[in-house]
Amino acid sequence: MTVKASSGFLSRSNFGPKALAILIALFLIMFLAVPVAKVFIVAFQDPSTGSFTLINFVDFFKTSLFRESFWNSFYVSSVSVVVASIIALPLAYFTSRFNFGGTVIIQTLGIVPLIMPPFVGAVAMQLLFGSNGSVNLLLDEHLGFTIPFMEGLNGVIFVQSIHYFPFILINLSAALANIDRSMEESALSLGSNGMRLFRRIVFPLSMPGYVAGASIVFIKVFDDLGTPLLLNVNNMLAPQAYLRISSVGISDPMGYVISVILVIFSLFAMWVAFLALRGKDYATTQKGGGGLMKRDMKPAEKFIAYAIVLFILAVVLSPHLALGLLSFGTIWSYSVLPDAYTLEHYVEVFSSAGDFIKNTLLYAGMAATIDVVIGTAIAYIVWRTKIKGRKILDYLAMSALAVPGVVLGIGYLRTFYQFDVPFKDIPLANYWLIIVIALAIRRLPYAMRACVAALQQVSVSLEEASESLGARKMTTVKRIVIPLMTGGILAGFVTSFATAAVELSATIMLVSSEADAPIAYGIYVFMQSAAGRGPGAALGILAVVIVALGTYVSNRIIQKANQKNAMSPDQH
Amino acid sequence: MAFQNKEVIKKLTTVVIGSTALMLSLSVNAADGQLTIVTSFPSDLTKVFKKAFEKDNPGIKLEILKKKTTAGVKYIQETSAKNRTDLFWASAPDAFEVLKDDSLLQKYESSVKGLPDKVGAFPVNDPDGYYKGFAAAGYGIMWNERYIKAKKLPAPAQWADLTKAVYHNHVGMSAPSRSGTTHLTVETLLQGKGWDEGWKMQKEIAGNFKTVTERSFGVPDGVNSGNFGIGIVIDFFGLSSKGSGFPVDFVYPTATTLVPANIAIVANAPNKENAGKFIDYLLEPNGQELLLDPKIRRLPVNPATYAKAPEGFPNPFKDSSIGAAVKFDLTKSKNRYNLVNSLFDVMITYRLDDLRKATKAIQDAEAALAKKPNDDAAKLIAEARALIAKLPIAEAKSLDKEFAGIFKKKRKKATDKVTGRQAEVEQEWDKFVVENYAKAKELAEKAQSML
Amino acid sequence: MTQNKSTAGISIKNLGLSFGTTEVLKGVNLEIEPGEFFSFLGPSGSGKSTLLRAISGFGPDPTGSIKIGGEEVTGLPAWQRNVGMVFQSYALWPHMTIRKNVAFGLEERKVSSTEIDGRVDDALDLVGLKHLADRTPGQLSGGQQQRIALARTIVVEPRVLLLDEPLSNLDANLRVQMRRDILALQRELGLTTIFVTHDQEEANTISDRMAVLDKGIIQQIGTPVELYDQPQNRFVASFLGTANIIEGSITEGHFVAEKDFKIPVKTDLTGNIYLVIRPQSVTISETEVTENNRSYSLKGNIEYSEFLGETVRYSVLSNGHSILADESHLRGNKIVANGQDVWIEIEKDQILLLDR
Repeated sequence: MTVKASSGFLSRSNFGPKALAILIALFLIMFLAVPVAKVFIVAFQDPSTGSFTLINFVDFFKTSLFRESFWNSFYVSSVSVVVASIIALPLAYFTSRFNFGGTVIIQTLGIVPLIMPPFVGAVAMQLLFGSNGSVNLLLDEHLGFTIPFMEGLNGVIFVQSIHYFPFILINLSAALANIDRSMEESALSLGSNGMRLFRRIVFPLSMPGYVAGASIVFIKVFDDLGTPLLLNVNNMLAPQAYLRISSVGISDPMGYVISVILVIFSLFAMWVAFLALRGKDYATTQKGGGGLMKRDMKPAEKFIAYAIVLFILAVVLSPHLALGLLSFGTIWSYSVLPDAYTLEHYVEVFSSAGDFIKNTLLYAGMAATIDVVIGTAIAYIVWRTKIKGRKILDYLAMSALAVPGVVLGIGYLRTFYQFDVPFKDIPLANYWLIIVIALAIRRLPYAMRACVAALQQVSVSLEEASESLGARKMTTVKRIVIPLMTGGILAGFVTSFATAAVELSATIMLVSSEADAPIAYGIYVFMQSAAGRGPGAALGILAVVIVALGTYVSNRIIQKANQKNAMSPDQH
Repeated sequence: MAFQNKEVIKKLTTVVIGSTALMLSLSVNAADGQLTIVTSFPSDLTKVFKKAFEKDNPGIKLEILKKKTTAGVKYIQETSAKNRTDLFWASAPDAFEVLKDDSLLQKYESSVKGLPDKVGAFPVNDPDGYYKGFAAAGYGIMWNERYIKAKKLPAPAQWADLTKAVYHNHVGMSAPSRSGTTHLTVETLLQGKGWDEGWKMQKEIAGNFKTVTERSFGVPDGVNSGNFGIGIVIDFFGLSSKGSGFPVDFVYPTATTLVPANIAIVANAPNKENAGKFIDYLLEPNGQELLLDPKIRRLPVNPATYAKAPEGFPNPFKDSSIGAAVKFDLTKSKNRYNLVNSLFDVMITYRLDDLRKATKAIQDAEAALAKKPNDDAAKLIAEARALIAKLPIAEAKSLDKEFAGIFKKKRKKATDKVTGRQAEVEQEWDKFVVENYAKAKELAEKAQSML
Repeated sequence: MTQNKSTAGISIKNLGLSFGTTEVLKGVNLEIEPGEFFSFLGPSGSGKSTLLRAISGFGPDPTGSIKIGGEEVTGLPAWQRNVGMVFQSYALWPHMTIRKNVAFGLEERKVSSTEIDGRVDDALDLVGLKHLADRTPGQLSGGQQQRIALARTIVVEPRVLLLDEPLSNLDANLRVQMRRDILALQRELGLTTIFVTHDQEEANTISDRMAVLDKGIIQQIGTPVELYDQPQNRFVASFLGTANIIEGSITEGHFVAEKDFKIPVKTDLTGNIYLVIRPQSVTISETEVTENNRSYSLKGNIEYSEFLGETVRYSVLSNGHSILADESHLRGNKIVANGQDVWIEIEKDQILLLDR
C-alpha cells in the first residue's frame, strides 16, 4: 500500500492531521493572535468613542516620560549588547584561536548565567555592586572612589549583560568553528595575516553568527519586565506598560500603546537580524569546517587569558554568590557581608512557600507538556504532510517570539476578563489556567524548534519503509517517528519546563491571588517587604536549582540522543 | 532507549494529568467559609492576621489578593459587575473615599464598642459609616545608623533638617503618584505649611534626593540596604524595619499627621457576614495586639493596647505632640488628588537631575557666602532659590474643580479629550520648570564665581 | 600577462614531518626544476598533500630543508613565502565578489588600485571568466570556482604554484578539460607547478615528472614513461597501470615460482624477485603456441573476462597463477568464453624483474 500525496481537503488519509492542524490553529488564534490583536485595537482606538485614531500615539510621543522610557529601553538594550559582546569576544577568541586549557571553564561560562533569571539576581546584585554595596564600600575605604555599577540604567545594563552574554558567546563560537580552514589558509598563502586577516576574512565570515546572537540579546533585554521592576527602574517601556495597566487600569490606552511599540520594535529587530543574515548563510557555501587554525599559547598569553577568563567567571558568578549570601544572611545593611548567617529563611520557604513551589511545578509541567505536544504536531504537519497553508502554523507559533510577556499578559486581561470559567464564578483572566496557557505560548517557539530539529533527524525513508510494509500513517507516527524523536522531544520538554518555571513578565500581569502564584511571583512579593528579602533570596536559590537541574537533564538527554543517532547509518 | 523514553513520557503525562485533576477538584471544594480581601498591606502583616483569624474562626478561609492601593481600587471598580471581593483593606483613606463615591462600599456597624473617635487630629472612622479605621500611622524620617555614622551625618529630627546641604544626595522618597501613603505625606505638608511654603520646602528637600522610588516600600528598602541614608516614610516602615533587626531608626517630626488605616465591606460582597466578623476581629483587643508585632508596628486605635507595647513604642493617646499639629482636610485632598500627583512628578520626579544640580549649585554658593559675605552674591542666591520655588499654578487654581478635573485619568464625558489636555498642561509645566531650574543654577554659579 | 621569469626551483633535502608521535613524511629528497610541471602521486594517506602543505607553510614544522629558488623557507610563516596555493575546496571567500577575491593578494601587497584593476582583469581573461567579475562565489559552478581560484593565485605572480587535488570535486568530463587548460596555462606562464593527485591518468597526461609516494616515503621520481616502464619497486609497478606481479626466485638461470612456473631469464639479480609483466604484453591464442624468439608460451584456462570497451581483459589461470591479458577489441571480435583452454604468450623483452 503506497501513500499518495494528500489529495482533496478532507481525503481520508488526511483527516487526522487536518483536524489536528485546525485545532492547533484555533488554539493559537485564540490565545495568541486575538489577545495581541486586541492590544493593537485598543491602542488605536479612541477610549471614549471607540473610533480609529492615532491620538493615543500622539499623546505617547508628546509625553516626555514616555519618550524618555522609549529612549531608555533602546539605550539599555543597545549598551547591553555592547557589554555582552565585550564579555563574549575574548572568550570566543581564546577558544577558537588557541589550544586553550581553560576551554572547559569557558563552556561552563556559557551556561551558568542562564540558569539565574535576571530579576532573581538583581536585588542581590544591588547589595554587592550598589552605590553602598560591598564592592563600593571596599573601593571607597581603600581607594577612595566608587563605581556607579548599579545607578539607574547602569544597573539594568549590568545585570542583563551578565545574564545574556552566553547567547553571543555560543553563536559566535559556533560561527568561528564553522569557518572552513582553507578560507584562512588561502588568505595566508596570499600574504595576509594577523589583524588584516582577521578584519578581512575571519570577522566577515563570523558576522552572521554574531548578529544572530546580538539580535536575540537586544530583543530579550528590550522586552524584559522583571529586571527593571526589581531594580526600581521605571522609566523604561516594559515597566511603564506594567505600571500603567496595574495602577491606572486596563482601560488606560497608554499601556496598550506601549505594548504596540514593544511588539513593533521586537519585530523590527528580528527583521534587521534577518536582513543581515540573508544570503550570508556562509555555512552552506563553505565545503569543510575545521574552524580556524589553532596554535598553542605562550606562557605570557596563557597568564593573560586565564586572568581574563577567571575575572569574567567571578563577575558572572556574582549574582549567584550574592543571592546565596542574602538567602543565608540575617541582616545585610551598609556592610560588605551580612552580619550573621542563618537557616531561618530556608525553613520559612519550605514551610510557608510550599504553595509557590507546588504551583510552579504544576504550571511549568503543564505548559511544557502542551508545548511539546503542539510542537511535535506542528513539526509533523509542516514537514511531513502537504496540507495547504501549513506553513502558517509554523509562523503563527514562531510569532510568539515577538510578543513580550507583559504584552501577552495585558492582552489576556483585556480579552478574557469578561468570560467566566465554566462551573466557576471566576473570570477566565483570573483563573490560574490562563497563566499556564501564557507560559505555554511564550515557550512554544523554542519547544517547536526542538521538535522540528528532532524530526529532521528522522529520515523520511524510515517512514516510507514502515508504510511499504503496510502500516498506516498514524501507526507509523506512533511506532516509528515519535519514538525516534523522543530525545529531542524530552529535551524540548525539559527546556520549556525550566524556563517556564521562572517566567515573570506575563505571570505578574495575570496572577490575581497569592494562592495561585508560582515561584517567580513569590520572589517578587517577598522582595516587597523588609523581612522578606532573606526568604525571597532563598526562594530565588530554589528557582535557580530547578532551572540548573532542568538544563543539566536536558543536556544529558540531548547527548544521549546524539550518540544514538550517530550510530544509525541513515542520516538526512 | 526509545522505548525507555516512551515510558518516561507516559509516566510524565499521567503525573501531569493527575495533578491537574487534583488541583481542579481541590479548588472546587474551597467554596464554603470563604472570605476574599483585596489589600495593599504587605504579607508581613496579612500573614499574621490571616493565621490568627483563621485559628479563631476555623470554618473560614481567607483569600488575600495583594494589590497596590490604586490597583486595588481599579480592580474593585472593574469587577464591580461580578464582584467577588468581600473586603477592601488599605492605608489611604482617600482610596476609600473614591470607592465610597462610586457606591462600591456598604455600611457596617461594628459590634466592638468603646473605641475613640479620633486619633491625633484625625477621625478614626468614616462619619458616614462606610469604612472603619483599625490602626493609625504617621509619617516621619527614617535613617540608617551605619550609613550616617560612616558619612558623618547628623541624625535628622524635623522636615526642615532635610533641606540642609549636609544631606545632599542622601535622601530617598517615593512619589505621591505611585504611593497613596506618600501622597498623604505630601498633602499633609501642603496643608500644614500652606501651598506655596509647602511646595517650597518639598522642593528644597527634593533637591537633596538621591532617588524617587517607584513604590513606597522602595524607601525603607533603600534605607535598610544602605543604598541611601535617609528616607521619608510612613512610620510602620521605619518601626518594622527596626523591629526586623535592621540598623535603622525612626523619628516623628513635629509637623506630621496621623492617618488611620481602614477596612470596608465591598458592595454586593458574597460573604457579608464573614466580612463583618473579620472587621470585628481587627477591632477587638486580640486583633489590636497583633499590630504590636515587630514586623508590623502600626499604632492601634484602642488606647488600652498600648499597655502591652514595648518600651519606646509611640503612643498618640499619651503623647499629644504626635499627629496633632496638622488638621487634615480630606475633601481638599480628594479634589486635587491627581493634580498634586502630576505637579509633583513634573516638578520633581521627572526633573530630579536638574533640580539636584540647581540645588547643589545653590548650596555650594551658600557655603562660599558663609565664608565671604557679599551682598550681591547673596541677592543672586536668593533669586535662585525663588526660581526653584516658583510654581506654575497658584493654590486657587489647584482647587478649581474644572481645572483639577483635567487630571482625572478616567474620562467621564465623551466629548472630553482629557488625556490630550492633561499632556498639554504637563508639557507647559515641564517647560516652565526646566527653564527655572536651569536659570537658578546659572545664577548660583554666577554668585559663587563672585566669591 | 607576461612570462614568469622569476619562477623558482624547489629543493627538498631529507624532509621529515610528524603529527604528534605519528611520522607522516620520512627522508624526502626532491629536486624540482624551474618551470617544471611536477606531480605528487599516491594513494590517500601517502603524505602527498602533507608534503605540498609543508612547502606552502601549513602544518607542523618539518625537519630537514626546503629551499625555494635557493632560499630556505622552513621556519618562514606561510604569508612570507610568496607561494601560490590552490585548495581542493577552492576556498573562495563567500562574502566577497569574484573581483574582490582575485584582488585580495594584490591588496595585501599594497599594489595601487589602478594596477590592481588591470591585473585582475588580465587574470580573469586568462581563465576566460571576466564576465563573472561582479558575481559572488555562491553563484558560480564548481568548474568556474576552480578557475577563479586559479586566477586569484596567479595574479600575484608567485614563484611557484601548488595545486592540492584541484580537480577531485569536478565530474569526469570537466576534469579532462580542466587539466588540459591548467597545463596550457602553466606552459604559457612558465611557472614551476606542483600538482597533487591520486589519479594516475591525470598525473600521466600533464606532468613533466612526478614523484610517487606511499606511506610518507617517496618511492620513485621520474617522467611518467620512466615510472611506467621502469618501476623500481613493486609498489610503483602496481600503482601505475595494471601489472601482473609474480613472486618467485632466481635459480640456475630461471625464474621459478609456485606450481611449476618456470621461465628462463637473463639477469644479474639473485635470490627472491618479482616478475612483472603488463597485460598488454600478454597475448591469448586459442590454438597452441610454442616458444619462439619473441615470447614464452604457457598453457592456461580462462577464469573470467572483463569487457572494457577498447580492450577485453582476460584472467588466465596458468600454473597456479592468474595472469591478466589485454586484447584490443574491434567490432565483431568474439570474446573467448570462460573455461576455455588457451595459450598465452609473454613477450620476452617486456619482462621486468625487480628485487624483493
